[in-house]
Amino acid sequence: MNDRQREYERLIAPIEDRMMRAVWRIGRDPNDAEDAFQEALLTVWKRWDSIVTHPNPHALILHICINAAHDGLRRRVRQGKWIQEGAIPENIPDSSASAVQDMSSAEQHGQVLRAIGLLPKNQARAILMHAVEEVPYREIATALDCRESTVRKHVARARTKLRTLLSNLIPAVHKEETSNA
Amino acid sequence: MPEKNSNHDLDELIRRRTQVELPVEVEQRLRGRLMEFRARVEQRPPDRWRTLAYSLMHQPALRVMAMAAALLVAVTVGVVLIPRESGASQVFAAAAAQLRTSPSLEYTIVLNAEPYVAVDFSYLAPGYRRINCSWGIEVRTDGATGRQIVLMHAARTYLLESGKQVESQANIEDFAGQLRSLPQKADEELGEQWTGGKKLIGYRLRNAPPNGSIPGLKALDIWIDAGRREADHVDITVQERGQPAHQMHIRNIRVGAEVNRSLFDLTPPVGYTAIAVPGGKERASESGSSQSIPVLQARIALGAPLTAVVMPMQGPYARTRSALQAVQSYLNTLHVIPAGPPFGRYESERNWDAGYPVPPGTSAAAPFKLISLPATLTASAGVNGGWGQDSSARWAAFLKSVVEQGYLPAGPPMEIWSGDDAQPAHQSTEMRIPVTKAQ
Repeated sequence: MNDRQREYERLIAPIEDRMMRAVWRIGRDPNDAEDAFQEALLTVWKRWDSIVTHPNPHALILHICINAAHDGLRRRVRQGKWIQEGAIPENIPDSSASAVQDMSSAEQHGQVLRAIGLLPKNQARAILMHAVEEVPYREIATALDCRESTVRKHVARARTKLRTLLSNLIPAVHKEETSNA
Repeated sequence: MPEKNSNHDLDELIRRRTQVELPVEVEQRLRGRLMEFRARVEQRPPDRWRTLAYSLMHQPALRVMAMAAALLVAVTVGVVLIPRESGASQVFAAAAAQLRTSPSLEYTIVLNAEPYVAVDFSYLAPGYRRINCSWGIEVRTDGATGRQIVLMHAARTYLLESGKQVESQANIEDFAGQLRSLPQKADEELGEQWTGGKKLIGYRLRNAPPNGSIPGLKALDIWIDAGRREADHVDITVQERGQPAHQMHIRNIRVGAEVNRSLFDLTPPVGYTAIAVPGGKERASESGSSQSIPVLQARIALGAPLTAVVMPMQGPYARTRSALQAVQSYLNTLHVIPAGPPFGRYESERNWDAGYPVPPGTSAAAPFKLISLPATLTASAGVNGGWGQDSSARWAAFLKSVVEQGYLPAGPPMEIWSGDDAQPAHQSTEMRIPVTKAQ
């Protein structure tokens, strides 16, 4: 095994699944996800030598994946694609409770992503890293090459905006938690 | 506390609404990308100096020391040791040196992209050479033993030669010789470009390298992979006086890679018929049967441009006559009188055509096609006798004469037929093929 193979085994192999999922969660379209993933890999390739010596390479690589996927999301939101795709069709073919629930879930997913797509870049990427990928503040700060307090500020501002944009959905979480319990 | 709960609720909402399973088909596509990426990473050359520099720079305590040391090294190297040599010049010099000293070299010259006309070259020290043309002719040479085999795959014939004639041909330098004799410095730097994840630096030579001359050479642009410091591809622009410029491309350059030795095997393939050369020391006896080869002298000259209506064909060449009859009938309906005798161009049995030269302004509709061939350096030779008679033998003699004069075929072969259809004794055939100077 040469140096490069060892580097790949150390840097990429352990987080391959996380990288793919991170892109898919934000993309949700096979072509867009593949484009974003390719874009992310290209960035990783270009920054390979700095990633090799980075104090937290996994957080940095995840950040690169999220950035690429988020760029695609912003483009789609700007083009109004999410609004159309997220809308519930007038005639739901299966009116059973589970079908309606699925449709509602898909709509909420679209609404959440659309709201994230409306956030400024730094805030969106910070909240995605923190809330979705569950990366600790300190590691996000290392990946973004900024202070931990800056990351906290981005996340706080993102939450404030999202709370307004998603106000109709927040009670639903309580409700689901209660019913699950 | 309420704010903390509220944050938790919101994060939970985002997490839940974005937790979706990765569909299998999407995972397969993304894994495919990862595999490509992995292969590319594994081929990436090591960069130990940069790695060391980064590791130093990420240790705050060492940062000042590292910067001071780097500054000192830069000043020493930049001012004292190599004050006049730029990094880009070093990349070119390194690639040129590697080409000069490498024991093997392989590449493809694309003479024309559409239709695809190309020649694959393989060189292996001390004197093995192979030239494989896309139109079905292959030449394998062992310079050390002075033996050579010319294979004509379309006709399933071969010509085995040895002795001084082969030695002199083996010494003809093709583009390999030119690539292996690049000067230390280029005439011009063309800048950088990124292709397929590779950083390429371009260099231009305005004159052919010392070991070769390319008639009408306008520019020879060499693009070097900055990471590996190896030649990636070459673009050659040629413009002879009064002629439009055209480009050739050298692609798939492999320097110092392991070459399959069977490429230089001089054993005739099974089922191929030998062609005996008059006066040649070595006559093929492996197959038992052999064709006699006439003595022919190819004439090299700038051929005239040609406009013609042809019938694009695929399948056996024996259908040439019916293709010509179809073109003739079509021209009759257009009331067009052919401007010359009929001809056929044979690239391969999957792609050939036959037709008639026509006056300017003639048009053609499918399935017929109007073609315009530019004036180009052409080898030609005429033979009397029935059309198609001794075809393999005379083509072998013709191509042998072309190579002996220091030229290489650069396009599909063509036959032009004159005479009376009913009287084979009064028929004649002109063989013609575009050529390029081999050195």
